[in-house]
Amino acid sequence: MAEEKKPEQRKKRRTATEAASKVAPMVKAMIGNVLQAKEEGKPIASTFICCCYDEIIHAMDIVPHWVENYAGICGAKRDAQRFLEKAEAGNLSRSLCTYALCGLGFDALREELGEMPPEPPWGGQVKPTVMLGSGQILCDPRNKWFQAAQHYMPDVPVCNVGLTWPLYEDDYDYHEVEGYYIKYFVEQLRGLVEFLEKYTGHKMDWDRLSELVDLTDRTWNLVWEAYELRRAVPTPMGTGDAMNTMVPMVFMMGTQEAYDFFKDLYDELKQKVADKEGVIPDEKYRLIWGGGLPSWFALGDFNYFNSKGAVFPVETTYRMIEATYNYDMDLSKISDPLEHIAWRWLKYWTYWYDKARKRPGSQPEVERLIQYIEDYKIDGIVMHEAFSCRTWHVGLIWQLNQLKKIYKDIPSLILESDIVDISSYNEADTRARIDAFIDVLEAAKRKGK
Amino acid sequence: MSTESSLGGLAAAARYYQDYGLRARGLKGQGKKVIGYLCALTPVEIITAAGLVPFRIKGDVNEPITRADTQMETIVCPLVRSCFDLSLKGKYEFLDGLVIPHACDSIVRTYDVWKYSLGLGYNHFINMPHSDDDSSLEFFEAELATFRKSLGGFAGKEISDEALARAVELCNQNRARVRELYELRKSAPPLISGAEITRVLTAAMSIPVEESLELLSSVIEEVKKREGAPAGGVTRIMVVGAQVDDMAFIKLVEDSGASVVADDLCPGGREHWSDVDVTSAPLGGIAERYLRKINCGRTYREMGGTYAEYLEHRFGHIGRAIKDFKADGVILYIYKYCDPFGFEVPQVKGYIESLGTPVLYLEDEYSMSTIGRMRTRIQAFLELIG
Amino acid sequence: MADFFAGVDIGSTMTKVAIMDGGIVASVIGPTGPEHRKLANKVMGEALAKAGLSFDEITYVVATGYGRINVPFADKQITEISCHARGIGSLLPAARTVIDIGGQDSKGIKLKDGRVVDFVMNDKCAAGTGRYLEVIAEALGVALDEIGRRSLEAEREVAISSTCTVFAEQEVVSRLAEGIPVEDLLAGIHKAIATRVYGMVNRLKIEREVAITGGGAKNIGLVKALEAKLGFQVLVPPEPLLTGAIGAALLGRDIVEEAVQSGLSLTRSERRLREATFFS
Repeated sequence: MAEEKKPEQRKKRRTATEAASKVAPMVKAMIGNVLQAKEEGKPIASTFICCCYDEIIHAMDIVPHWVENYAGICGAKRDAQRFLEKAEAGNLSRSLCTYALCGLGFDALREELGEMPPEPPWGGQVKPTVMLGSGQILCDPRNKWFQAAQHYMPDVPVCNVGLTWPLYEDDYDYHEVEGYYIKYFVEQLRGLVEFLEKYTGHKMDWDRLSELVDLTDRTWNLVWEAYELRRAVPTPMGTGDAMNTMVPMVFMMGTQEAYDFFKDLYDELKQKVADKEGVIPDEKYRLIWGGGLPSWFALGDFNYFNSKGAVFPVETTYRMIEATYNYDMDLSKISDPLEHIAWRWLKYWTYWYDKARKRPGSQPEVERLIQYIEDYKIDGIVMHEAFSCRTWHVGLIWQLNQLKKIYKDIPSLILESDIVDISSYNEADTRARIDAFIDVLEAAKRKGK
Repeated sequence: MSTESSLGGLAAAARYYQDYGLRARGLKGQGKKVIGYLCALTPVEIITAAGLVPFRIKGDVNEPITRADTQMETIVCPLVRSCFDLSLKGKYEFLDGLVIPHACDSIVRTYDVWKYSLGLGYNHFINMPHSDDDSSLEFFEAELATFRKSLGGFAGKEISDEALARAVELCNQNRARVRELYELRKSAPPLISGAEITRVLTAAMSIPVEESLELLSSVIEEVKKREGAPAGGVTRIMVVGAQVDDMAFIKLVEDSGASVVADDLCPGGREHWSDVDVTSAPLGGIAERYLRKINCGRTYREMGGTYAEYLEHRFGHIGRAIKDFKADGVILYIYKYCDPFGFEVPQVKGYIESLGTPVLYLEDEYSMSTIGRMRTRIQAFLELIG
Repeated sequence: MADFFAGVDIGSTMTKVAIMDGGIVASVIGPTGPEHRKLANKVMGEALAKAGLSFDEITYVVATGYGRINVPFADKQITEISCHARGIGSLLPAARTVIDIGGQDSKGIKLKDGRVVDFVMNDKCAAGTGRYLEVIAEALGVALDEIGRRSLEAEREVAISSTCTVFAEQEVVSRLAEGIPVEDLLAGIHKAIATRVYGMVNRLKIEREVAITGGGAKNIGLVKALEAKLGFQVLVPPEPLLTGAIGAALLGRDIVEEAVQSGLSLTRSERRLREATFFS
């Protein structure tokens, strides 16, 4: 399916599920909601995906603005360049996170103009009341981006929440240090509540928080169960769709809307499995998207894979939940909401550690890949190296090498581009690589690997 | 007492710099264990107190990166890649262990790659928090306690508070010596060039702290006795950046007609400016210094007061250095793919310019092939300062 | 007694010499080859011949440009940033911002009272330089000195999304195969390079008047594309390739005048032109 270059004439990407097709209007509504909240003078908090404290924000009736999501939209609409250029003109290096460059460039332009830039994607990005970051293992921009944004908005306060987790080490087991990590999280989250109360004037409703914490647990479990249905052959849903369904998972967690969405998704997938309805009728190759954020402006590539008989029943990207009842502790016993959030967070990030210990040379990320390869009957693995994101992309080469070393030599493909910066993407080159990979998969299949 | 030190300060420094790892190899031969580490945020006090040899891993701008790419992505900080590349090439095969602090994404996200590729007997990641508020400090102390216990296990002996206190004293003395050396840069012209400083301090990070102390003392004596100042330009420049462990860039600036008289670099001003407060439980003082007293972009300094006060809190030390060392201009020398420093450029540049000091912002890649390209910019900057 | 000053600008693509007294006495423009030393001697010799002067009659020589370190008879080397600024300062005194688009690099220079106060360079990447246009012109089969004029004949705006020269080349070739007219593609390419250059110069807080110099200034399509990005007209000196050499010569004069006024002695190059071997 040829992809047009002129924005007005680009075809809408096909989705396999109804649920996924509902997402675009949900995002638009979400952004519209922020714009409206701004107009109504409600407090708005800029923050990041998988921040840990979704429930805290919602329980205090604060409206979250998801900066990465907005940058992703600019990227998907192929209207990020002007913001990237503005950031660069301000001496921010192009080698930094392109989400941040897009967001910062937008803020710079908006503050300079004194109003929204002309024709901003989906209404634009507002100046928030507060900016909430974090210091953890995930990503430096989470504790640098908003600090840098203060250059354009010096009057917007920033709160950085310490949420780091223990790494997988050989000289000690993470269980030994859990105690002081949880203590740290709880204190930091408490500090966040104090900060929000101070700068938004809203008070924490602790009962509501407990409710939302419980709702989040149930939503996590529901997502997991829905995604596990994709183990079926043929698979009812691919990574292309998951790049849509991730929206309620990471941008609406702690809301009834998210829970209902995944309930519908679960029902839809259950039906498809019963009807043996797959993403494509003739499924030849089952692939795992083993790492890397997608190029938001090139999601059509998933359809290209489909056209060659390849599907993606599973991905690690944006699968940011585990079923809490699979944890090695009974989370339901933790009644204090902040402690509960803290434990849920710690156990999520250390989920694969114990399993990895059982396999020599293994390591949590690799162990996770192995589990998915086996559960979802995977033939090959695709990784995407996005040049401006060290968080999700450094270590992919190594993981692939290690996977092949300790598990099996599985066909693999590495794609290269960026999340938002279209100038790094070469469609012809990408499709050529995909074609070559399909050949490799076919050959492996014939060899009966 | 090492035989190398009988060469005399500057000559010894040159030798250690040129043959980086010389002393560590020698000590290894004597049965000592060498712990390699990245970044000035690693608490050398603890490694020293354990009776182990701390060794800062550095890169080489003259060595093209040829082996690292098979394991490590190219979007990683070029300095880290160079360090890794040299490690794969066996340059640091004398290491017994690897310790890295949570400095930045390029370091933490590559930890597994380092660990599994080098296959050393000991690896430890110090999870230094990003913020410097009270609960973060408390957390960091607990983390350091974990490290202390683990390293003691590797060394075969618990690290006592006495040993730590001694190491703190030693390291503080070492840093005081560096500050003394820096005093010799204040004169016009400075008695020691920026390139020489980089060479001496880099050499110092490859040897045990006691020996570094000796080295620095002998260098100071030598330099004080100098009759003439080393040839350098009249324009006084301060360099601000992350780790500059190679003379090449500083030399380029000085060859273009300047003297590099001050810096906020590692090794350099940032690393050596502050001491550990001597506390009854030494770990507390150590945690405090590394989290709160080292002024590095990777640490999120908690906001207080107005925005102007906040900038002063973060960058005021640069303003003071400009004044104390009478710098005419500042060069911001930042590597590509550097988050902690890259995000700060607009603010730090703005801050320095608000003091009336011109700033040249250079983005580079830690390689001789790109350093040459800086030449015209540096020269034009010096012409601009006039 | 007239004093003569010479400026030698060895660029990556073109070498330029200007001999001046109050105005331009003689100038030479020629292609740079790999052997800068020989070239500098040769071109200087040509300029002297044109001026009817001997080397001894030149009071001071300033070398600039990419190859400035290979001018053995120069009294001083000064960067092309300072030289272009000085040149424009004399030729177009109203200019506050200078954009120089050369064969292999492009620069933005901010002026205040004739002095350089800020500058920005792109020499890492072909996109945004003359090289980009060279590559595209070749791919489209259009003569380099024609692409500007023909780009103005475009009927439709075509967006070229690749900023990388190599990718852009691929892109135009495939679009040409689709049947897009050459003129439209050329317009898109000029827009792309103008965008790139504008993005770079924008770091300087652009102030009018803006002057364009260097080889890129001779490309009418590029000048127009830049004007479209800027939103106003730009100034172009009569011979854009000579700005650097003129500026160099003038800076030489400034240095001599300052020395005379302050009574300080002047360091001159010890190498004389005739000692350097001609045509060796």
